[in-house]
Amino acid sequence: MEFHLKKRPRHDVKVEVVSLESKYPHNVMLYHYPPTDDVHIEEFEELALERLRLLRVLDRAFTKNLRLLSDEWKEYVNAELTREGLRSYLRLCSAGGSKHESDIQTRRRDYLSHFILRLAYCRSEDLTRWFVAREMELFRYKFAALSSSEVKQFLESNGFEIHPLTEAQKDEVKDGLYESTAGQSVSKIELLDFYKVPFTDVLDLVRGRRCYLKAGFAYVNTLDLVSIVGTRQQEEIEQGLQAAKGLVEEVEGDERISRMLKALHNSYTGKDYTVCRDAAIPIESLDQLSKTSMPLCMRMCHEHIRAQHHVKHGGRMQYGLFLKGIGVTLEDSLRFWREEFTKKMDADKFARSYEYNIYHNYGKKGSMVNYTPYSCAKIIKEMAAPGDCHGCPYKSMDPSSLKTKMASYGLSASAIDEVMFFVSRGHYQIGCGKYFQLTHSASVEPTINHPNHYFEESQILMGNRQKRTTNGPAPPKARVRPDIKGCADRSMLMGDDDDELWRIAETQERAMQSQKAISEAFDDDLDLTEIEY
Amino acid sequence: MPEEIVDQENQAPQQQVQATAVPEYNREMLMDMLPVYYRRLFPHMPFYRWLSYGLTEDGIFCNREISFTLHDDIYLRYLCFESQAEFEKEICLKLPVKMDIGPVMHTRPKNIRTVPGGLNPVQRELVFDIDMTDYDPVRTCCSEAEVCQKCWKFMVLAARILDVALREDFGFEHILWVFSGRRGIHCWVCDHQARHLDGRGRYAVAEYLNPISYVSFGGKNSPRCPMGDRTHHSLKRALKIAEPLFEEIILEDQNLFGTPKGVTKLLQMIPDDAARGELESYLQKSLEDGAHSRLVWESFLKYSNSMKTATASAWSRKLKNIVQEVQLGLLYPRLDINVTRGFNHLLKAPFCIHPSTGKVCVPFSVSAVAKFDPTTVPTITQLLHEINAFDDKSKSYMEAPEDKSRIKDHKKTSMFKGVVVFEEFLRKLERSHKAASLQF
Repeated sequence: MEFHLKKRPRHDVKVEVVSLESKYPHNVMLYHYPPTDDVHIEEFEELALERLRLLRVLDRAFTKNLRLLSDEWKEYVNAELTREGLRSYLRLCSAGGSKHESDIQTRRRDYLSHFILRLAYCRSEDLTRWFVAREMELFRYKFAALSSSEVKQFLESNGFEIHPLTEAQKDEVKDGLYESTAGQSVSKIELLDFYKVPFTDVLDLVRGRRCYLKAGFAYVNTLDLVSIVGTRQQEEIEQGLQAAKGLVEEVEGDERISRMLKALHNSYTGKDYTVCRDAAIPIESLDQLSKTSMPLCMRMCHEHIRAQHHVKHGGRMQYGLFLKGIGVTLEDSLRFWREEFTKKMDADKFARSYEYNIYHNYGKKGSMVNYTPYSCAKIIKEMAAPGDCHGCPYKSMDPSSLKTKMASYGLSASAIDEVMFFVSRGHYQIGCGKYFQLTHSASVEPTINHPNHYFEESQILMGNRQKRTTNGPAPPKARVRPDIKGCADRSMLMGDDDDELWRIAETQERAMQSQKAISEAFDDDLDLTEIEY
Repeated sequence: MPEEIVDQENQAPQQQVQATAVPEYNREMLMDMLPVYYRRLFPHMPFYRWLSYGLTEDGIFCNREISFTLHDDIYLRYLCFESQAEFEKEICLKLPVKMDIGPVMHTRPKNIRTVPGGLNPVQRELVFDIDMTDYDPVRTCCSEAEVCQKCWKFMVLAARILDVALREDFGFEHILWVFSGRRGIHCWVCDHQARHLDGRGRYAVAEYLNPISYVSFGGKNSPRCPMGDRTHHSLKRALKIAEPLFEEIILEDQNLFGTPKGVTKLLQMIPDDAARGELESYLQKSLEDGAHSRLVWESFLKYSNSMKTATASAWSRKLKNIVQEVQLGLLYPRLDINVTRGFNHLLKAPFCIHPSTGKVCVPFSVSAVAKFDPTTVPTITQLLHEINAFDDKSKSYMEAPEDKSRIKDHKKTSMFKGVVVFEEFLRKLERSHKAASLQF
């Protein structure tokens, strides 16, 4: 658990917790008053990233098309929250009004981090929309966990003046209630309390025709109260975002914060692929691997390079960093690019114009920053011009050439349709996951949010990675980034990663030492890939 | 005359000239006719009375965005007018071939370039746009821009279903229905609450009134109107309105299932692969190709009823409402949902002349919608002909003082009815302003 309580002097805790509890009396709060706490810059960043991971879990559940608060949704979200090390939030969404000290701390983190992200997500309409949608999902999840007495308490403390219909009033509209109250049986409807509110208070129920509507009033039962409360919460957040927009200039005067806030929505919070720790890939196997284990975006880069012997900067960055991430060493990388590029230019020109860039990517020249391979979010955002091969093909290619491409890779027409179903709806990553599932005959499609993750999953599925890791020194698969803190955070945000330089040395050393093992593994690769293809 | 028609068709091939009694509308002549129309026939006063809403709110008239489309497709947006006099003067001067009404902004929209932060819409009628082209998959009589009395019946249902939902469910009272001049209808909901709905509110209302979803099957989209276990009262009511006309419209007028292609349309509305296959083979067995829709429908009813009793089949669970779902799926209003959702969406003003048909966008009353005939809506040519004929007869126009006669000019024409509907709508609207002002 990542609480830093232990760091605090013991005698403080008691007082602090008591005051915290009065400040954050409830698991579910309307985020009305901006917090006035002093927060250390490191904690500020930590909170921001923590909430971002939290919201991204919800986002993944959303893109997987799971219905909000359905059992599958809860199962998925709970598992993901646990995996991401966000169990404290999970408690917020399940345990009631527990007085446990750590829960109260979580309430504080919840409250603060929400306001921090407001600053990062108020800056454009797209960001705002995403943020509000995820926050509302979180709110509903938290609210759904409240007991009825807690709901009552919540309503009272937040000044909601709504009263249930009397029996007589309910009787007048009972036919309508029976017909039009969604999700409740008739016998249940008899027992439930109903509230009459202007239809504008429960737009989500109206939109889905989930309640009885008469003369501009909606009849809402206790179980749908969240809708009324949620509307208020949403207004609160949206107004807050508007207000934050006005403040953001002032906040961004502080450069420490502004850089983070600006980059936050694009920061990658999954596994860190900056340095590949568990495998080394010889460049000779790239042709095979491009066919079996690379996602479409990388495969196309690879083929482009093999065919054109040249690739523009965007492609070099995208593919080059990817190669680094899958375990191509600096030396191999240099060799790979040199061999290709010198088919079109002399070695001298290559050395002058391109070598630096490759050293640079590996953090060996210039700012000495070890760059992080691009995540899907970044690749999808890339604007590829004609002649470029980078960017997300699902997004950038027109549907017909994309189909042709996939057909030329051996996908059947029906398989292509399956992928295109998601692509045409703008769910490029799900489309990519589908492509993975189809090409690997996997039973489930993985959630793809990083090309290196795609590659790794593929290798694991084909038995390559696991095999190697069992006798290799590095721990096996899915090493989720340990709880983010301090400088490691910043590296995720800015791509500064000097402090991990030593790991490159480690990797290279290992690569050199186990030259033999590699060539064996290379044979393995060939065998397995042939079976697969 | 025939020569002119040929000429015209060469220039604008899609355009259809409706055969009406009096002189044919000729697009070339539009610019010559508009001055007279705007001077003598356009109901400037009621139009202003509408958009000023009794001046109950600040800037309600003068911050309204109006756009003009001039001759030669010059499009002027962000116009606004301080008074009725200015509005009328500008219309008669610029002679727009089309006028659109946008939202009321927070300030004068004409200052768009100098307003920091851009214009913010503050209110706008809740509008609906139903276009006949969206019915192409379910009509056989016409397609695209054409409308006949048969397919107008779809519009009859659309207007009735929406009107009653807006009144009963949302409690709106001031609803103006307008024929768009060619192939669609517009609905303007003008209640205070409707005008002040925010984007999300509009979205919710639009979705509430739009239960139709499209399921892709075999590359074709077929409409679905899922009813669920217990059917929401709004859908039950819609079905109650639509069902009595189902036979007449779908089976008789359109004979929609009368071809193998039509039968496929019916089959595509069955959202279950196995059940669809069963039904297909049943229909093939029991019917000849090209059997009349009535027979197809009867077979379908018979089959689904007989299957309902079989416990284990999809027909008794998933498809237990299938008959009603198909009926609503075919007849429920097709809304252009983005028009309703958008705060900023411009919509053509009533009493404009549709440039390609020459017809007036006349308001109509929902209670008499079945009697409304889109094919006999007067064209501008016809209207001018009528006032001339009237003037010739009475010789009064030349002698009477201009203002006095002008007020009554529309009464000499077949536009009269539309203006009366509009006036009636205004009378109720103004009464509600008065009631509201008395409350304060």
